[in-house]
Amino acid sequence: MLELRDVNASIGIIPILRNLDFFIGAGETVALIGRNGAGKTTLLRTIMGFTKITGEIRFDGRPIGAMPPPARPGLGIGYAPEDRRLFSAFTVEENILLPAQAARLSAEETKRRLDRAYRILPELREMAGRPAGNVSGGQGKMVALARALMLGTKLVMLDEPFQGLAPALAQRYAEALRALRDADRSVTLIITESNPALLRGFADRTLVIERGEVAEGALEPETTPA
Amino acid sequence: MNLTIFLLALFDGIAYAALVFIVALGLTLIFGVMRILNVAHGSLYAIGAYATVALTGFFLSLGLAPALSFPLMLVAAILVGILLGGPIEWLLLRRIYDKPEVLQLLVTFAVFMILEDVQRLVWGTQPYFEARALQALGNVTVFGVTYTVYQLILLPAVALVLLLGLRFFLRRTILGKLITATTEDREAAQSIGIDADKVFLLTFIVGAALGGLGGALASPTTSILPGMGADMIVLSFAVVATAGLGQIEGAALTALMIGLGRSFAVYVWPEVAVLVPYLIMVLVLLVRPEGLFGSPAARKI
Repeated sequence: MLELRDVNASIGIIPILRNLDFFIGAGETVALIGRNGAGKTTLLRTIMGFTKITGEIRFDGRPIGAMPPPARPGLGIGYAPEDRRLFSAFTVEENILLPAQAARLSAEETKRRLDRAYRILPELREMAGRPAGNVSGGQGKMVALARALMLGTKLVMLDEPFQGLAPALAQRYAEALRALRDADRSVTLIITESNPALLRGFADRTLVIERGEVAEGALEPETTPA
Repeated sequence: MNLTIFLLALFDGIAYAALVFIVALGLTLIFGVMRILNVAHGSLYAIGAYATVALTGFFLSLGLAPALSFPLMLVAAILVGILLGGPIEWLLLRRIYDKPEVLQLLVTFAVFMILEDVQRLVWGTQPYFEARALQALGNVTVFGVTYTVYQLILLPAVALVLLLGLRFFLRRTILGKLITATTEDREAAQSIGIDADKVFLLTFIVGAALGGLGGALASPTTSILPGMGADMIVLSFAVVATAGLGQIEGAALTALMIGLGRSFAVYVWPEVAVLVPYLIMVLVLLVRPEGLFGSPAARKI
């Protein structure tokens, strides 16, 4: 599904990621664990095409390393950045619809995908008409997830979705992710997190990123406090 | 100041503000979306005027009605947008978006210098007059003051239609929404599949066409001569900076303020009339460095 072979990524002239070499299969839920500054966000941005790379990235067997960033979501990739990055000029629903409009999906297909997003995050229906600049941080994360789901039919990448969420909202967000899981087993999920405890029991695989290098990890390190 | 003079100053100011606003609209649209201050915008204005005069002269000499001047203005503006704006973005600006801002200023300034000479090369240094569009619409008398319909009604109407039309386009149409999203956050826009390169090209073409349209509409009211582009870029920059860079509605109000300030100064204190726009700009920027309607984060220069 997603394959990185010998990938080095840099921003400007500064190398950030080194020797990335891993494969993620269709339907896997991967926790990408690492401290702040370890390179989690850069890895997701690299998959989206925003860094300079050497090496090879394949998506569904197809090399995408040279593909310009705006062409990538159309392959079935949804990405919710860490700081939400909603467009404040628009309402919640307009934000969610934008990816479908950029990809020129038909009206029926857009409606089908919007319904799918609302089934997974029903609370967004009630705030559909609100300006995106007026929703709380936690609600904004839900909107960003819904927006990522519009094109994310194969791969959904969430950058620190739980960070800054109040416990009740974090629980609600985790429920939504489970609903997404249950609705479509073939979607691959990559979720970054600095606190591995939050993804325990949810991810079926853990990648640990440290100083720009990725290694397979265990989700429940023995030293985790109770 | 009696009523007649007051009305004259008022009408002068409105007509002038409408023209300046149309040019400033293109400048602020380009800045708002692309974060590029396009110094060559003044040349696009001048070439819009020259092209209109050339097209009108040619077609009216064939015996066609003067009313044809109006669609020809539109044609001139579109030609400026596509034939000049397109290549400027595609061949030059696209290479320097992630380079330091000073380079963007230098490159657009170089384009400005080149286009100034191209104008002299193509149209020479003799002034042109082509007022048949102005005459075609006749005059209107308001409280004893006679003024041209073209300047008092057509120009403000066009400015208003452009303001409302651009607002509607950016907020309500799909293409406009993609542009607005790119304006707010280029990377976030790209990561939901918006082709920012295409958005930039389109924005620059539209912005350049607005500059050209300003020149086309100005052409019947002024003599077309070398240097007119330099005057206009400085003035429209004053409007855009006073309003806050990238602020479309703000530019409309500021253009009106600067236009009226200048026209009243002409009657009250003519010695400083040409200075008034810049005095207003300096006063505003001293109090609000981000401009009347700008937010501090949006400022770049």
